[in-house]
Amino acid sequence: MGLILDKAPAILEHIPGGSIVVTTLDWAINQSRANSLWPLAFGTKCCAIEVLMATGAAHQDLSRFGAEVARHTTRQADMMIVAGTIVKKMAPRVRLLYEQMAEPRYVIATGSCAISGGPFMYNSYHIVRGVDEVIPVDVYVPGCPPRPEAFFWGLLTLQRLIKQGETIRKPGIRTKPVLSALPAGMTAEQVREEIARELERENVVDVNQAAERLPWAAKVREWIQNHSSQP
Amino acid sequence: MGREGQGMDSESLIAAVIGLEAEAQARGASDRPAVRTPLGTLEPLLRQLRDRDALAFDMLLDHTAVDWPEEGRFEVMYRLFSLRHGHDLLVCADVPRDHPVVPTMCGIWPSAEFQEREVYDLFGIEYDQHPDLRRVFLEDDWQGHPLRKDYQDPDMLEDPRK
Repeated sequence: MGLILDKAPAILEHIPGGSIVVTTLDWAINQSRANSLWPLAFGTKCCAIEVLMATGAAHQDLSRFGAEVARHTTRQADMMIVAGTIVKKMAPRVRLLYEQMAEPRYVIATGSCAISGGPFMYNSYHIVRGVDEVIPVDVYVPGCPPRPEAFFWGLLTLQRLIKQGETIRKPGIRTKPVLSALPAGMTAEQVREEIARELERENVVDVNQAAERLPWAAKVREWIQNHSSQP
Repeated sequence: MGREGQGMDSESLIAAVIGLEAEAQARGASDRPAVRTPLGTLEPLLRQLRDRDALAFDMLLDHTAVDWPEEGRFEVMYRLFSLRHGHDLLVCADVPRDHPVVPTMCGIWPSAEFQEREVYDLFGIEYDQHPDLRRVFLEDDWQGHPLRKDYQDPDMLEDPRK
């Protein structure tokens, strides 16, 4: 079993001589996947203006979540954001793009059209009623189009799903798709606070406390003492 | 080619068109000068509209059609614009619904080729002498022409609220 250096800068700063924290490979892999979701630069309608352009620009700044590196080839992309209407002519192409993406691949369907067909649901000759008729979807983000904070909420939902998602023993096991609606009355400010809280909870660790909770805490303490006593 | 003034106003444009083609008449209910002409006179009239110096409609902005199933006709529409004078004009003609054949305008404005393919694709109006009359938006094996009012499709859903 490998030893993964976690929170390395914090630990190196707090404990002279450095330390190691033992964790599972699954945890580390899932963290890496969740925090470097590279989206495919693929937008089919007006949601792409909001979800891919407005969120990627400086004010909203998608790169806070490590998801700003829009890839123009499916081979390098991890996440497909279906932003807009999928028409019958587009459906086989969407499927092809999805098949070209390497595993693990995730799909966020944003906006009414990609979820259900939206305003084109009835009396329409061209619509695919929801992109989930063509490809599996992980997170639905409702809106017409969703506001950037609603999309961020969906992205955070996907990150949570990934972090508690598949393991090495059970690869390919995914959670069921979820509808990630922004709770009513929630403002962008509150979303930002939630994001900050989440980031703080995950990234600010009291190392001593964390180390004490480990079952092998005594051994670690001994090891640190042995190694830090050397000149 | 610089624009010379504001071009002709609505009344004088319609009068000029009727002067060219006696069977044409003003078409009401439009936000811009509009004339209706019989199908047989359509091509010579449009050619003159382009060639006359006073009119000089050198640009076909839009070509589309309207389906009137109760009256058994399609209405083909040509929205013309003059870059030289800055005036625009709508020319309409009626086509029988059971035999929708219109002469092509590709010889007058080359941009008509794709616009006519679009109208053929969605309305099923056929263009006589068109160089390449194929579907342009829908798949080649699509059945029917979806912008016709009586178009039916097994995938289409009726709105249950109606």
